[in-house]
Amino acid sequence: MKSRTALVCLALLAPTTASLAASRPRYGGELRMAHAGPAEVAEPALADTPIEATLLGLLSRPVCHVTPDGDARPALARALSRPVPQAVRVELATPATATALARAWTRLTGADAPSPYRALLYPLRAEGRQVTASGHTLELALAFPWPDLERALCHPALAPLLGTAASGPFTASGKGALAAQLAWPEGRPYLDKLALTATDERGLTRMWTAKQVQVELGAPAESNTQVGPALYATYLAFSPRKLPVDFRQAFESAIDRDDLTRLFVRGPAVPMPHLLPPALLVQPARVRPTAPAPTAARTVTLVYDAALEDQRAVAERIQVKLHDRGYTVALEPQPRAALRSRWARGDFELMLHAVLLPPVPGPALAIVLDTAGRKDLLGVELPALGALPDASARDARARERALALASSVPLLPLYAQGLAARVAPEVMGLTMDPQGLPSLDGAWVLPADGTGASGRP
Amino acid sequence: MSAPALAVSLLFTLALAEPSASAAEPAPITEATPALPRLARAVADAVRAANPEAPIAVSLNGSSVELRQAFGTLLASRLAAAGLAPVVLPAPTSDAVEAEARAQGARSLVRLTLDVDAGEVLARGDVLGTWVNFWSGRTPTRPPRPAAALSEGVEADPTVLALAAVRAPSPPPTSPPARGVRLMGAVMARLDAPLAALGAGDLDGDGRDEVIALTEHAVSVYAADGRLLARQELVGLAPSAATTREPFGAVAVLGGPPRLAVWSSQQARGALFAFDRARAELHSLGTTDAVALGPRERGAPVPGQTAFLPDVKLAEGHGLTVPAPFTTASMAPPWRLFVHPDGTASLYARPGGVPSRLSGLGAGSALGDLDGDGVPELITTSPLVQPTPDVLRVVSLAHDAPLGHEPLWQGALPAGRALQVVTADLDGDKRRAVVVGLWKSDGTSDLFLLRQGAP
Repeated sequence: MKSRTALVCLALLAPTTASLAASRPRYGGELRMAHAGPAEVAEPALADTPIEATLLGLLSRPVCHVTPDGDARPALARALSRPVPQAVRVELATPATATALARAWTRLTGADAPSPYRALLYPLRAEGRQVTASGHTLELALAFPWPDLERALCHPALAPLLGTAASGPFTASGKGALAAQLAWPEGRPYLDKLALTATDERGLTRMWTAKQVQVELGAPAESNTQVGPALYATYLAFSPRKLPVDFRQAFESAIDRDDLTRLFVRGPAVPMPHLLPPALLVQPARVRPTAPAPTAARTVTLVYDAALEDQRAVAERIQVKLHDRGYTVALEPQPRAALRSRWARGDFELMLHAVLLPPVPGPALAIVLDTAGRKDLLGVELPALGALPDASARDARARERALALASSVPLLPLYAQGLAARVAPEVMGLTMDPQGLPSLDGAWVLPADGTGASGRP
Repeated sequence: MSAPALAVSLLFTLALAEPSASAAEPAPITEATPALPRLARAVADAVRAANPEAPIAVSLNGSSVELRQAFGTLLASRLAAAGLAPVVLPAPTSDAVEAEARAQGARSLVRLTLDVDAGEVLARGDVLGTWVNFWSGRTPTRPPRPAAALSEGVEADPTVLALAAVRAPSPPPTSPPARGVRLMGAVMARLDAPLAALGAGDLDGDGRDEVIALTEHAVSVYAADGRLLARQELVGLAPSAATTREPFGAVAVLGGPPRLAVWSSQQARGALFAFDRARAELHSLGTTDAVALGPRERGAPVPGQTAFLPDVKLAEGHGLTVPAPFTTASMAPPWRLFVHPDGTASLYARPGGVPSRLSGLGAGSALGDLDGDGVPELITTSPLVQPTPDVLRVVSLAHDAPLGHEPLWQGALPAGRALQVVTADLDGDKRRAVVVGLWKSDGTSDLFLLRQGAP
């Protein structure tokens, strides 16, 4: 069975598992959506919070999606294939799209916009720096066996840059207005239009109460919300050269991750005791160590993402708790692009670093290792993982390696967040994908009387 | 093949599949074993669990003689292999069956009623002792053992439906009498992808329809018993510039030398095939620009949507403009049905006429003469978005507002999205069966066959 159609079936059968829709979704109409994200989204590698990735995904999608079965299904691409085991062929609708995609990936792996998501392309020859389009096709040669490449290519950060070619299910048609793209390879969205409103949490509540919107993203996780897997993982990266050897022990003894998610991070969020979030690695947390012997007080600087209120709250909490361990922590908010730039240069003592991990353990581990500044480990760990032909065996090995490597990488996992969507009853077909993002192109609006969807619109 | 001949053939096949105890043990049951042998084994095991004393009499009730006979044969084989010396009682009445069993010298009696319902063939009844205590005199008291209730069921298959639907032949009447409608269903075939469209027609000229299933990228032809006769990938066709999110398409069997026209929304153009039954192949005859909606009807899709444009071209040379885009079309000359996205439909009783406006139709709708009165019935699924379960209704078109009257028949469908319905003359006897395409939650599809059961 083709995975694309399987996902369509799942999505369309999703409204209720016990009752199966007898009718076709309705085309047309406008869906009003409010969100707690920015009014505009940046380039894909930086638009990696779940809300931003969702908004970006309306206009620009990666070549594929990961299905609930764990397969890669074409999205922007018309087809993904392996003409030989060591190469993946990506067929796109137009040469312009292929060129735009190659340019985006080259930028990701180059020095202009350093990003930990470059690790997804690490298994390619020259680490993906030499991807070129040939007509409407990209031929991706692997440097070593890496069966998870297709699934890795589904990451939202690997979508083409905005404004190059029509590369998403919707196109911008005005301020806060999107229109369905007829030629979207997966089939045009059911909706004709999408009206977006950026607001804050209070605005979300007000608009929902007044029934001004039908979908809200970024609402608090409540009983009437849909919640995707928590794959937006936040770590504290530290520089081993600039901090004492017992910093990890001092931090682990001072910080209670449950406290962070209960009191300082807006939900949906879960404590993350290991390098991979609980959605990918279920293991009990280790026992917290005792505090190391007190040493002379020292001052360190913690940089964090200025756009994320959660990170500010967590940074302040860390500031307080590390003070008890003899650290005076100065806080320094930074724009995300500057943060990534400093990360690439290793120009930090402490950094709160959040990344959107793919729902596949192997590629997720690759991003985590690069985030930790241990790109050298990719060349050791990934070929060993890729040598396992069985997907579940690879996933299991990636989890094992994540546990084994935890103490050797300068990265302290903190928490993982998902995205909650509040959906009005008349909105059908809106489901969370395995990446934890809502698929708005599959949403449709139920007719007022609840019947008459006999068919096909 | 005539109905009795078909019955004999099916009985012979089943008999071969289930040898008698004197020859060998009954064949082992596997996943590929037909429904009746599986049911016979289940019932035999349940009977044995009641520890009946041999010889054992078997009495079967049920609407179809052929189904009773076939099941009786298989159950007797199983019981004989277990050393229970079965005797199948001929056509007993419920009152006389105990006395008949005693007259035959049986020490135990199995009473069963066979039924086909909701895709299952069911055997329900009891097992009891026939021994009468000497001190009871003429009063037919019962012994304490054996005594057990029996209720077994297995998923039906096309063989069961064929047996349950068999009738004695009758001379053709001058005016066809209307019969009641009572449909019994079973899964006819399973596909590994969701259906895009479903069709039926006589592709090989043998007077019997084949069932054609179209998925996004392949077309398959099935015989009445669910056998796959041919399958062809839709390769070499240019992809559509505006495809649909869910599988969608059209299937039609064209006249003249029979040809199969299919169109999937994944492709820019339709494809034309000839069916070679001897080689079990579909030969490509080229492509088509227009979408064949029926033998004489051509249409065009709404780009990117699961619907067709209102303008329909007819083979007579003129066109037909349906009041709105439609999602489903069904032809039963001279009748034509077009179902619109809002659950309404336009029904044309004759070419060029004014359409009747119907409402409350489901995505799966078709025309077909099920009761043999010469006028097609309307078969339609539920108009609700999430029916639990979906219901198939058969309504008469004799009324002005067909859906405002009591349906001739209605029954629940198995779980799944019922989006395609066609009718087919599977036996060449002008009595049409119904085939429903069901999307399953795992991304596969079932072809669910409903045939007329015994009244």
